[in-house]
Amino acid sequence: MATKESLTEAIAVAGSPASGGIEKKKFSPLLWIAENGVIVFTVALILFAVIFVNGFASLPNITDVFYRAAPIGIVAVGMTFVVISANYLDLSVVAQVATSAVIFIGISNLYGLLAGFLVATLVAMLYGIVNGVAVGFFKANAVIVTLSTTFIGLGILRWLSGGSIFFGPEDGPIRAFGQASLGPIPASALLLIVITIVLWFVLNRTTFGFAVRAYGSNKQATRLAGVNTTLVVIGAFVITSLAAMIGGFALAAFSNTAVSSMSDGYEFRALAAIIIGGTSVFGGKGSVLRTLLGVVFVSVLTNILVLSGIGFGFQQMAIGALIVVAVSVDALARRAAKK
Amino acid sequence: MSQQTDTPQPGSAPEATPQTMQLGAARGGFLTQLRVTLARRTEGRGLALLTVVIIAAAILEPVVFTSYQVTLGRVALIGLVALGLTAVILMGELDLSVASTLAVSGVVMASIPDIWLGVLAALATGLLIGAINAFFVVVVGINSFIATLGMLFALRGLAFVLSDEEPVRLSDIDAGIAFGTPLLGPLTPRVLLFIAAFIALQIFLSRVKAGREFYAVGGNRQAAMDAGIPVRRRIFTGFMISGFVAALAGVINTLERTAADPTAGSTVLLASFAAAIIGGVLLNGGRGSVLGTLIGALALGILQVSLTLSGVQVDIQDIFIGVILLLAVITDPASLRAALAGVRSSFQGRKKVQTPV
Repeated sequence: MATKESLTEAIAVAGSPASGGIEKKKFSPLLWIAENGVIVFTVALILFAVIFVNGFASLPNITDVFYRAAPIGIVAVGMTFVVISANYLDLSVVAQVATSAVIFIGISNLYGLLAGFLVATLVAMLYGIVNGVAVGFFKANAVIVTLSTTFIGLGILRWLSGGSIFFGPEDGPIRAFGQASLGPIPASALLLIVITIVLWFVLNRTTFGFAVRAYGSNKQATRLAGVNTTLVVIGAFVITSLAAMIGGFALAAFSNTAVSSMSDGYEFRALAAIIIGGTSVFGGKGSVLRTLLGVVFVSVLTNILVLSGIGFGFQQMAIGALIVVAVSVDALARRAAKK
Repeated sequence: MSQQTDTPQPGSAPEATPQTMQLGAARGGFLTQLRVTLARRTEGRGLALLTVVIIAAAILEPVVFTSYQVTLGRVALIGLVALGLTAVILMGELDLSVASTLAVSGVVMASIPDIWLGVLAALATGLLIGAINAFFVVVVGINSFIATLGMLFALRGLAFVLSDEEPVRLSDIDAGIAFGTPLLGPLTPRVLLFIAAFIALQIFLSRVKAGREFYAVGGNRQAAMDAGIPVRRRIFTGFMISGFVAALAGVINTLERTAADPTAGSTVLLASFAAAIIGGVLLNGGRGSVLGTLIGALALGILQVSLTLSGVQVDIQDIFIGVILLLAVITDPASLRAALAGVRSSFQGRKKVQTPV
């Protein structure tokens, strides 16, 4: 693959003078909110929770938020790659997280943690490659492709596991990871931070990451610049799948159990975190660090709803509304910026 | 929805499926005619699947055809939702929220004591949901994939809230029982409603000006706008058709089960997408037919019922239908063309790619 500098030049040549090559910077308040609003919203939401919500600002509750945020966060920072590459999202993460969790507990019980890790990695690669080939090579719609792989994956998982709950041993390494913590911060939250840093590096400091962002903002120009765009898309889906695999591990470690329905709604929560974080569903723009903030926002919001005794249905409505509103702000901001 | 920016357009006919290419090799007056007809039709893959499913079912589980009331009922449910989707996909948009629309309208209907008032309220709910979807797509300008995905999740939540997370029993159970009995020959009201919806949509999309304009909107939106077609209004109509039809499916489902389940609809979602897409409705819009959707719904309905009768559990049925949807979406003419172009360019190497001036 070419170096980043030569790519920048080639894409700039291929992309201009048509729109999308190099955008003019013009200040628009709506665009600023769409991209950076997450910082303000997250701080405001946490302040609100500390002042008004009973029981939020206690150490056990904060630790609980961390525990629940970690698996979703790991999935979300990985899925950011697919969203930046202008492929909407990977719905099948819901199947991948559950599959990984069941494999980590189920296979590790029988053959040890290393075997579990290897099988989970293989399955994640398979998911990433199937999704990536269908979307990158056949140029099929990512939503429909990952919708079908979700049903295939969940179907296989429920069929093979019989829908039963798997329990890890009390003295196993997964349990140990789940209980380890640094002060109030659990190990899984530290894992999330490490993965975010690694993926930040991949996205912002490697040629591959550059190609993902370039592909998201202008597919045609990226292809004409000599980038193998099929591999870029496959790479984005494989990274998402590997992250979902690690997310499944963190989720399994949290409760030391695994069941096929344990990750219901993860695809929507992860998408909400990504979009709130200012990554555009139109592709090309975004950052894993902002996704991390989006995860904090979504997790704190969910925690507030739970502490206030608001039911499961209202939580789903809130997350769904959050997705639609965040995308609306982004769409309106882009339209205003173009004028 | 012009997502094809990175697929080079080859000069060949846009619908060159393998069969038509073979026929093209033998140049004859009749064969050329046949080839042109085949190239225009989009139902090829649906027919192929239907043939395979019928033959397999006839050999393995002939009960499917003798207990045709069950089979027709299933086909009607999948087909109804798929019909609404057809109207939306023809314009290059997508409505993922249909599954939740079905659940919400069912719950709305069951929570109203008077049955006719309930049906009216449910159908109005469907129209309202369609209008909200269209509002986000047309007025705000969000991609319909993401807008309706958000709605899918939000409405599922609404169904849980309205029903208190439990199935709502229909107060007028007699109406439900009456609804399940055959009305005309062996046909139950559910099947008759489906046939009526099929004929209505077929006439709308092929004979009514507004319906024919759906194809123009999906084929080339800019050109449709320039030609003076009210594109925004057409998209509104499409989403409201889809919402209304999904609500109708919810009403039928509730009547037959005499209860509304807030989790209803998730299996129907996958099967109805598969029916529309394998039936030849192009996801990028502009091509496809109601007849193709009917063929797709028949194939998937027969498949589901024969799997159920053979004692195959629901999880494995999901795998079957998921694989069919995945194959349907990658054997879409546009996808095959993209794959072909990819293979061709990798053989040609890089030297033919010219840097634009």
